[in-house]
Amino acid sequence: MHNLNRRQFLQYSSAVGAAIGTGGFAGIANAQEVLKMGVVYVSPIAEIGWTKQHSLAVDAVKAELGDKVEITVIDNIFMPQDAERVFRELAASGNRLIFGTSFSHGTPLQKVAPRFPKVAFEHCSGIVHLPNLGTFEAKYYEGCYVAGAAGAHMSKTGKIGFIGGFPIPDIVGPANALLLGAQSVNPDITCNALFLNSWFDPGKEKEAANTLVSQGCDVICSMTDTATGVQVAGEKGAWSIGYASDMSKFGSGKQLTAFTLDWSSDYLRAAKGVLEGNWKPEVRWDGLAAGVVKMAPYNEAIPADVIAKLKQLEADIGSGKVHPYAGELKDQDGNVKVPAGAVLADADIRGMNWFVKGMIGKLS
Amino acid sequence: MRFRIEQRTEPSASMRVAAPVVATVLTLLVGSAMFAVLGYDPLSTLQAFFIAPLNSMNGLSELLLKASPLILIGCGLAVGFRANVWNIGAEGQLIIGAIAACGVGLFYPDPESPLLLPLMVLAGACAGMLWAAIPAFLRARMNTNEILVTLMLTYIATLFLSWLVHGPWRDPAGFNYPQTALLPAAAMFEPFDYSYRLNPSIFITGVAVLVMWLFTDRSFLGYKMSVGGAAPLAARYAGFRESAAVWTGLLAGGAAAGIAGMAELSGPLGQLSPQISPGYGFAAIIVAFIGRLNAFGIVLGGLLMSLLFLGGETVQLTLGLSSSLTRVFQGILLFFLLAADFFIFYRIRLIPEHA
Repeated sequence: MHNLNRRQFLQYSSAVGAAIGTGGFAGIANAQEVLKMGVVYVSPIAEIGWTKQHSLAVDAVKAELGDKVEITVIDNIFMPQDAERVFRELAASGNRLIFGTSFSHGTPLQKVAPRFPKVAFEHCSGIVHLPNLGTFEAKYYEGCYVAGAAGAHMSKTGKIGFIGGFPIPDIVGPANALLLGAQSVNPDITCNALFLNSWFDPGKEKEAANTLVSQGCDVICSMTDTATGVQVAGEKGAWSIGYASDMSKFGSGKQLTAFTLDWSSDYLRAAKGVLEGNWKPEVRWDGLAAGVVKMAPYNEAIPADVIAKLKQLEADIGSGKVHPYAGELKDQDGNVKVPAGAVLADADIRGMNWFVKGMIGKLS
Repeated sequence: MRFRIEQRTEPSASMRVAAPVVATVLTLLVGSAMFAVLGYDPLSTLQAFFIAPLNSMNGLSELLLKASPLILIGCGLAVGFRANVWNIGAEGQLIIGAIAACGVGLFYPDPESPLLLPLMVLAGACAGMLWAAIPAFLRARMNTNEILVTLMLTYIATLFLSWLVHGPWRDPAGFNYPQTALLPAAAMFEPFDYSYRLNPSIFITGVAVLVMWLFTDRSFLGYKMSVGGAAPLAARYAGFRESAAVWTGLLAGGAAAGIAGMAELSGPLGQLSPQISPGYGFAAIIVAFIGRLNAFGIVLGGLLMSLLFLGGETVQLTLGLSSSLTRVFQGILLFFLLAADFFIFYRIRLIPEHA
């Protein structure tokens, strides 16, 4: 299965490479005109969360490009049936750059993009690329690894709790990285993981967080689209780790840090590319080094020398000196998945569907 | 002076015609006031809501594409609703129908067979009926409340789908993401024109509307079911079996929802993922009631719901109106439509104080 994935990954990559090699994207070079740009959000813009971070990137485009862009935003589009109609509508009404911001937008984008070859499409968290469909994604696991190290420094029980929206690779991988980061500080630490099968279910998430705390976890990290995990942890006196946005104001002073997402560079690069006529469908996958993943300010309760270590860890991951998935990596049952001295291949990171040793919980 | 609400001796025929008109006028007034207060020009907002989505061939195609499952399921549900059989689990029956159809589409030995599509329709219908047969059996044999059973089975269907796409049916080439492989071309309805998305599954809905009309207005069983719904004691006295109504009502709803699931799968979706329906099974309940449980009323109800949805997107795209506001507006319209029905059966009388 992993070999197949790697092969697929290479196929996609080489297809994009070929597209770039054959002169890239020459369809839409017109510098005079205002760039009409459409963005489709998966949920309404809230105070924090996934869509909020995308809206901040859109604001960054507005701030930098001003009246050179005219941006149409439509929110709360999750279902593929609806997404396809909206993408088509945006493309037909003259938008030359269109963003999809959810994995569920992928199949619709793949259907619409070939029908509008002169429109540039960008898909956040996508896996399939076409001559006019590029993707961008964050290396969540880099931030998660640092957050895990912070958690291990502060945990007294040696147990971390993780709440995930769905058991998909985008979440399973970071959950593993959280524990691996923690184990880099304390090799005996474990992580209890629960999945909600929903991105937004504060009731269920509250229950999950309570369960984890009662199991003895004193650091809670929640990868959903709410601040509930951070909030419940704070109320129960446990440390918390925020995701997507800085959630410190929900955490009763107990948020250790958050691994936040900043897509500005991805949006700006695409918008400038289309404006200047040199947009290409890229496969962008950035983390701490490019600033797509950023650590929120560390909690003042963390000792200064630990904060210095964490900042050094950020820098080392950014420079490639430390790789979160460096061997030796074993799965839950103790089978060696990555031998010592090697690192997990990119395609295997993007398709990660197994838990590392020390994770407690099931993936189904 | 006091007001008193009185039941009419007979439903008012004139109010039956006037109620939707009154509801529309009230919606337009209240909606315009809301848009004006928020600083949007009421006329252009209403134009964007109700006219703009229909201005193009693509708009019409999208309107029908979205209305089709609502009408299909609404017709199936109304058969039961007329007999007081409350199937509110069409969403689950839709999901099971889509799963069965997808199973046929993915695993049928000959992926190019012209038989594939008809087999999938059959699989969808049978699976939907099977799912609805559980509450039917429990209600007919043990008098279990079908409202609860159908609703609970929706959650089971959702989780079953989730298990399939996270587990055994996951696309081996999909980076472990929870979705199945795309169906082969022969398992998909071919759009009438590749510029649009409307496909021949709309004919299935058309046939369903006709069958529903013939059944409710022209068949003896349909008549017996209506009597059972309106006057259960009279129906029992006349010797009409309640269990026949329960089975017919639930199986009709299940079959319609199952086919609708198949049509979504072989139409706009092309694959299964953890969530496949934007709530069609629940929205169809509203559609059935807007249509007053009448086949042609349901067609209008389905078109209206679909238009409200598309209009909501258009005002967001063209005027930047927030999606929450459009949902408030949709709520106002549905509220007035259903509330106006009150005046068909009741009237308000003014009573002088000294009388």
